[in-house]
Amino acid sequence: MNALEVKNLVKYFDKVKAVDDVSFDVPEGSIFGLIGRNGAGKTTTIRMMMNIYTPDNGEVILRGDKVDGSFKNKVGYLPEERGLYKKMKVLDTLMFFAELKGKSGRDIEKKAKKYLEQFDLKDRMLSKVEDLSKGNQQKIQFIATILHDPEFIILDEPFSGLDPINTNLLKEIILEKKKEGKVIIFSTHLMDFAEKMCDHIAMIDKGKIILDGSLSQAKKKFAQKNVSLNYEGDISFLNSLPFIESINDFGNNTQIQLKDASYSQDLLKALVEKNVTVKQFNANDISLHEIFVQLAGKLEGEVLTAEVPNVQ
Amino acid sequence: MFNKIAAVLKRELKERVMAKAFIFSTLLVPVLMFGMIGIQAFLYSFEGDDKTAIEIVSETDNMTQRIEEEFQNSNLVKEENFAIIYRTQSKESFSDYIKSEGKADILDDKLNGIFYIPNTALSDKKIEFYSKTPKNFSLTEKLNKHINKILVDEYFASKELSDEELKFARSGVDFTGYKVSLDEEIEEEGFGNLVLSYAFSFLLYISLLMMGSLTMQSVIEEKQNRIVEVLLSSISAKELMTGKILGAATTGLIQMAIWLSPVVLLVSTTIFVLPPEFVLSITATQIIYLLVNFFIGLLLFVGLFATVGSIYENAQDAQSGLWPVMMLIIIPFFISLAFIRNPTNPIGEIGSFVPFASVIIMPVKITIIDTPLWEPILALVLNLAALFLIFPLAGKIYRIGILRTGKKPKLSEIVKWLKLSS
Repeated sequence: MNALEVKNLVKYFDKVKAVDDVSFDVPEGSIFGLIGRNGAGKTTTIRMMMNIYTPDNGEVILRGDKVDGSFKNKVGYLPEERGLYKKMKVLDTLMFFAELKGKSGRDIEKKAKKYLEQFDLKDRMLSKVEDLSKGNQQKIQFIATILHDPEFIILDEPFSGLDPINTNLLKEIILEKKKEGKVIIFSTHLMDFAEKMCDHIAMIDKGKIILDGSLSQAKKKFAQKNVSLNYEGDISFLNSLPFIESINDFGNNTQIQLKDASYSQDLLKALVEKNVTVKQFNANDISLHEIFVQLAGKLEGEVLTAEVPNVQ
Repeated sequence: MFNKIAAVLKRELKERVMAKAFIFSTLLVPVLMFGMIGIQAFLYSFEGDDKTAIEIVSETDNMTQRIEEEFQNSNLVKEENFAIIYRTQSKESFSDYIKSEGKADILDDKLNGIFYIPNTALSDKKIEFYSKTPKNFSLTEKLNKHINKILVDEYFASKELSDEELKFARSGVDFTGYKVSLDEEIEEEGFGNLVLSYAFSFLLYISLLMMGSLTMQSVIEEKQNRIVEVLLSSISAKELMTGKILGAATTGLIQMAIWLSPVVLLVSTTIFVLPPEFVLSITATQIIYLLVNFFIGLLLFVGLFATVGSIYENAQDAQSGLWPVMMLIIIPFFISLAFIRNPTNPIGEIGSFVPFASVIIMPVKITIIDTPLWEPILALVLNLAALFLIFPLAGKIYRIGILRTGKKPKLSEIVKWLKLSS
């Protein structure tokens, strides 16, 4: 059963097609990752899902019905560019954002206080937002996103600009919400991260979906043709072998893509024959990053893993 | 939908009315306004502090003597620090004198002016005035009354008139204004409404500018601090804009009601008795009209300010987009001032019906001339029509503008936004 179905979304900016016929399904209870480079069309797609942008074509189906304004009340949305009213008090801020979602009153206030306590911010309840540290402001932002108990949580590049503590905090929130059966959708350009958290993904490149479905299936499909190799010696002769599709040297390990999964034994045999010392030979492993590189290719000079250290 | 607009409105109101700035401006604007009038009066009165030295030269001894008698007994010498030298001199020797010593005295600031009263003045009242600043009206105005009196006396002295007749001839014309209206009685009109209409157009002007720029700042803040996208995940751009405009307009209305409350007190009770020349003739209906008109005006102008704010990313850039809106407020304000001075001013007459301008001009019109009820109502209707016509367009710009970042958009780009479907 799909919670959300995105169908043929198209969005033009001026004459540029920012999102080009994007379709994917988000199953109930899943953590869904929308993966792509900066500028691939992730934010635009999410904004159309949130009805912030009106699509030039296509629609979003929520459990069988076209989404309307009421969808906004069911979503907790954390945009990439986010902020709070600086002069507003912490508790007032939380109550205001809940009220915009149609929730107000004692219960929500109690809940806000509970979250503040959980995040060690209870004593800052009456402080102005601007008096809080940046990290604490981010925590307030998280609470505002989930305070109204949304069925859907949509996070656009959620880990950008977070310190390690808040990164872990947000991870915990996401996993807790998943346990509660909520649907979590996030966009990211951090492949490692998506790989660890998502069970379903859609890869987007230049406005087009290049891969979607369950992560494990995608990995299985791509891994069969992929060999991860750790060796000593000279492997340059591999380039001339007919069953090799491509070779990617990542330094510590080399990814070799075969024309067909059945050639893995031939590859091993060839390596042994040429006296290459094989330290590790894994014929059934591929990272999301490698899948992405295979499908979209590397962009000039862009190293997708380079930003990973920031997120731990 | 309305709950969400209400939530935004509530936040805006809380943010504004509870702010120190609101309390300060509510108190300070009237103080400033009356302060400015006071300062002006003070500056006018300031001139009398210095000694004014003048020389009055006449052609005959008789005339010189009369002038000396008149001026030495006048307030000018007694109270205003005038030092006057009286001399008799023929026309020829005076023309030599003014080219030599007289000229030197004036240039050395020993004398502020030299007046020459020839005998011919008795028939044509023409007097020569030599000074570095011969257009100094405050000086000639002060002397006018006295010299005129002497000339008139001298002229009629030979004609055997009674003192009463002389007194009549000497006096100027005194206008007493009567306001002609549909009411049965024709009333002698005081200055009350004139003061009121000055004060009201000033308050209106200040308030529109103040509420407008506050709203613009708040739109820019939401954009700059990236709050806007969080907001848009909960409400539509239209709801956000509506809530913000209503919030600012309500704040403005509360402030104006506070400012007008003394007027309401003066009119509706007899606790305060005003001197008759300052009696206000304004009715409760007119005050309600003023507030309704003001509220609609706020919606119109605040809406424009919000739209301008949405286009730009910071306040400095927004200034450049603001001038057309400022012109829409400033020009009608000046028209209304001109209208107060001359209520038959045709530009004012037309302006009192033109949407946007009428917000500022019509209230002045109804306080100073008796206006049939349909006129302010028509102006209101036209403004409402403008509101409904402009808002869908402003909303479109707002919706696209608030999510837009990057460099300042050109006018052609903004026009393009209007053509987009949403």
